[in-house]
Amino acid sequence: MTASVTFQGLNHSFGTFQALSDINLQIEAGEYVTLLGPSGCGKTTLLSILGGFLEPSEGQVLIGGQDMTRVPPVKRPTTTVFQDYALFPHMSLRDNVGFGLRMGGMGRAARHARAEEMLDLVGLKDAAGKRPHALSGGQRQRVALARALAVEPDVLLLDEPLGALDLKLRRLMQDELKSIQQQIGTTFVHVTHDQEEAMAIADRIVVMSKGRIEDHGPPDRIYRHPATLFTADFMGETNHIPGTRRAEAVETPLGLLPAGGPPGAVSVCLRPEDIRAGEPEGLSLGPAKITSAAFFGTYCRVHLAPRRAPDLTLTAYLPVGRNWAKGEEIEIAAAPEDFRIFEQEPG
Amino acid sequence: MMRFLPWLYLLAAFTFIYLPVGVLVLFAFQEGSLPVPPFNGPSLRWFGEMLADDDLMAALRNSVLVAFGSSAVAVTLGFFAAYGLARHVLPGSAVIRGLLIAPLTVSYLIVGLGLLIVLTRTGLGLSLWTAAIGHVVINLPLAFAIIYASMGAQQQNAERAARDLGAREAQVIALVTVPMLRPAIAAAFFLSVTLSWDEFIIAFLLTRFDVTLPVEIWSLLRSGLSPQLNAIGSFVFLISVAVVLLLEVTLFRKPRP
Repeated sequence: MTASVTFQGLNHSFGTFQALSDINLQIEAGEYVTLLGPSGCGKTTLLSILGGFLEPSEGQVLIGGQDMTRVPPVKRPTTTVFQDYALFPHMSLRDNVGFGLRMGGMGRAARHARAEEMLDLVGLKDAAGKRPHALSGGQRQRVALARALAVEPDVLLLDEPLGALDLKLRRLMQDELKSIQQQIGTTFVHVTHDQEEAMAIADRIVVMSKGRIEDHGPPDRIYRHPATLFTADFMGETNHIPGTRRAEAVETPLGLLPAGGPPGAVSVCLRPEDIRAGEPEGLSLGPAKITSAAFFGTYCRVHLAPRRAPDLTLTAYLPVGRNWAKGEEIEIAAAPEDFRIFEQEPG
Repeated sequence: MMRFLPWLYLLAAFTFIYLPVGVLVLFAFQEGSLPVPPFNGPSLRWFGEMLADDDLMAALRNSVLVAFGSSAVAVTLGFFAAYGLARHVLPGSAVIRGLLIAPLTVSYLIVGLGLLIVLTRTGLGLSLWTAAIGHVVINLPLAFAIIYASMGAQQQNAERAARDLGAREAQVIALVTVPMLRPAIAAAFFLSVTLSWDEFIIAFLLTRFDVTLPVEIWSLLRSGLSPQLNAIGSFVFLISVAVVLLLEVTLFRKPRP
C-alpha cells in the first residue's frame, strides 16, 4: 500500500524557537524521499509531524489526499523506524514484528505467519524466537524495519535509521532499504544528515536548513546544480571563490568567468573533481602550487595555492595515474559550465 | 601482614552483622526454657510450640495478608503516579513529586499517630485494614521513587513505537510499560512487603483485636524471654532468606543471551 504526502504552509515553533518555517512539499506515492540537513535543521520535527507525534503550529498535513493534521499516530497510515529502533526487549522477534498486527486484532496464527514472512523479507527468519538483545545493531535495524512494514503502512518514516551502524553495514543496509522499497512500493520518507546516504538511496532529496526547505530534486541535480549556496556546501566538498558580478562576466581572483547577471558580490563554487590538472581545455585558472597531497584510493586529494591568488586554497581531486608531489607547480583549468555562481547572502 | 588486614576487617564486619542473627537462630534450638547460655540441645521443641500457638499463627497470617495487600496497593498507586509524572508535563510537577516523596522523611510514629487521630475521629474502628492503610502511606513514596527512577527514555521510545503501531493507552501500559519495568516494579513490591512485614509502630497503633506478627511478638515479650521467640524469629528469617533466594534465581537473573 502506498500514498502521497502533502505539506501545506507548515509552521512549527517550540516556545520562541521557530523549528519549521513555511514548509510546502509534495511527495508522490511510492517515492523514496530523504530529508537531509544538519542537526537542528527541522528534518526530525517535520518527520514527527508526519508521524503524528507533533501537531504543527500552523498548516496542514495530507496523506493520500486526506487531512491528517490532527490525527494521532495510532490512526495514521504511517509507521516509523526509530533512530534507536525502540524494539520491545521483553518480546521475541516474532512478537515484536507481530505487535502492530495484534493491535489490529489479527489472530495469533495469522500474525505469526505474517511476522515470519516479514522477518524472511529482512533475512532474519531463523531468529524469530530470539529476543532483541541477542541481535547485533544491524539485525535490530532489520527487525525495526520488519515491524514497521508488517502493518502495511501507506507511508514508512525512517528517523536516521542507519546512524548507529558502521560504514560497511550502513552501505549494505542502504542497498537493502532501496530494494525493499522498490519491492513493496510503499512511500518512504527517510531522515538523515549524511549526504552520501541521501544520494545513495533517494529518488528525491529535500535539503533543509534552519527550518526551511533549501532545495529539492533528484540527487544528481541537487549535487550538480544546487539551488542555493547552502545546498552546494552541504552536498559534499566544494571550493568557494569570492567574486564580483558585472553585466557580462564575473570577476574573480582567478580570472574572468563568462557569466553575467545583476551586479553585486557573489560566491563562485567549484567542485574539487571539476578542477583539471595539466589539460589545456576549459577555462584556465593559471598555474598553482601543490601544498599538500593525500591518496584516497580512487583519487588524490590535493590542496592548491594558485599563483593568481596565493591566499586562496583550492581543493582538487586529481586522478591517481601519476604521483602528485608537494611543492610541484601545475597548470589548472575547469570547464566554464562547472562553475556555480550564488549571490552572497547579506551580512 | 598488610595483605590480611582487609580480610580481617571483612571478617569483623560480617561478625558484627551476623553474630546476633546466628545467636538468635542457635538458641531457637535450645532444649531448656531460657534462650541464654549454656546451650543444651539441639531440639525442635520450641518450633513445635510455635506452630501449636493459634494466636501466633493467626498473627503470621495477618502479617502476610497486610504485607502483600498493602504492597500491591502501594506499588499500583506508585506506578501510576510515576507514569503520569514521567510521561506528561503537568503544572507544578516538581511540587507534586516532592509531596509524593515527602512522607519518607516523616517518622513512622508521627504517621501512625496522625492516622490514629484521623481514624478515631471518623469513627472507623481499628483493624487490619487500618494497619494496611498505614503501610500504604509509608510504602507509596518508596514505590513511587523506585519506579520513577527507572523510567527512562528507552521505555518512552518503546511506548511511542507501540502507539505508532496502533496500541491504545491501556495496551501500551499493559503490554509495554509494565513488562519493561518489571524488575523495578518487583523490587518496589518486595521491598514494600519486607518493610510492612517488619513494621511495628504503625501496626501497634492501628490494630486492635487482629494483630500482625511484630505486635504479637511484642505482647509475648512482655511475659519474658523464651526460646519460642527465637524460634519465631528464625522461622521468619528463614522465610525471608528463601524469598530473596527465589527472587534471585527467577526474577532478577540476567537473561541469557
